Amino acid sequence: MLTDAELERYSRQIMLFGRSGQERLRETTAFIAGAGGLGSVVAIYMAAAGFGCIRIADCDTVDVSNLNRQVLHRTIDVGRDKTESALQTLKDLNPTIDIQPVQERLDEHSIEGLLRDSDLIMDAMDNFETRYLLNRAALRHNIPLFHGAISGFHGQATTVLPGRSACLRCLFPRALPPSTFPALGPTCGVIGSIQVNEALKFVLGKGELLTNRLLLWDGLASSMDELACERRPACEHCRDY
Amino acid sequence: MKIKVRAFASFREMLGSELELDLPDESSVQELLDALASLNPRFCSEAFDRSGLLKDYVLLMKNRKRLDRDSMNQALEDGDEVAVFPPVSGG
Ligand SMILES: [Zn+2]
Repeated sequence: MLTDAELERYSRQIMLFGRSGQERLRETTAFIAGAGGLGSVVAIYMAAAGFGCIRIADCDTVDVSNLNRQVLHRTIDVGRDKTESALQTLKDLNPTIDIQPVQERLDEHSIEGLLRDSDLIMDAMDNFETRYLLNRAALRHNIPLFHGAISGFHGQATTVLPGRSACLRCLFPRALPPSTFPALGPTCGVIGSIQVNEALKFVLGKGELLTNRLLLWDGLASSMDELACERRPACEHCRDY
Repeated sequence: MKIKVRAFASFREMLGSELELDLPDESSVQELLDALASLNPRFCSEAFDRSGLLKDYVLLMKNRKRLDRDSMNQALEDGDEVAVFPPVSGG
């Protein structure tokens, strides 16, 4: 049962999907990989929407050059652990949910612990090596992965449902070399919002997910495109699922 | 024959969002890419590695179906649409 305070807080979205939808959100544990540009937008909208448990992992500290887009962090947070300032911001926004900050590097050793009891994975990483780890973990645990990535004015998003849609490796068989990418707040805002919108629809069982489709945002043209994609039977990540 | 090319993300800034190339009949996907490379030096350096191969992470689609690297010698047909897309990886 939702409390009176919850009914009031979420009243404008309960109009959309009812108390039962809100309860479903409250029962959902989301793992957010990264508290950077995408992770900031993802975490803020998930906390605001009332996902009951949000675990957010990052291993960095806040740098002043993060602040043009990483809206979880403030000038006063420079030098602090990113997950610590994330906790502060998210708690201020919504004290009624459980926020679990984990200041830890995501690698093959840490991922199992980080993912414990998670119902879904939000990809807010900045490199493909770690994204592949997330992809494999999503397949292993049979939970959805909501992918987003940005560079400059451009962004992309897709949704992976293990065993039912193309996985991240089907779409991107080769990792991009790591690079220092240009990053802009609004691009993170667009893509991060799409990722959360997808997670909401998944939990609520509403609408059409971005499965087998790669959505492309072009901020210079102010336009979106879509590339159709499908599972690759030989995919080294998902062929056994 | 006419081939329609759709470029995305940073490639769009170099090539424009949509262009039509006039190529000799039965030109291959590789020949289309070579033609694009000669059209725009920035595209050439962004899309190809030093040995002249398309960078391995660049996605290619023909008529909205993905093209694998082993189909680069496939002949194109008049009216085909080829899309080139460099995925982004930042967060
Ligand atoms: Zn796959």
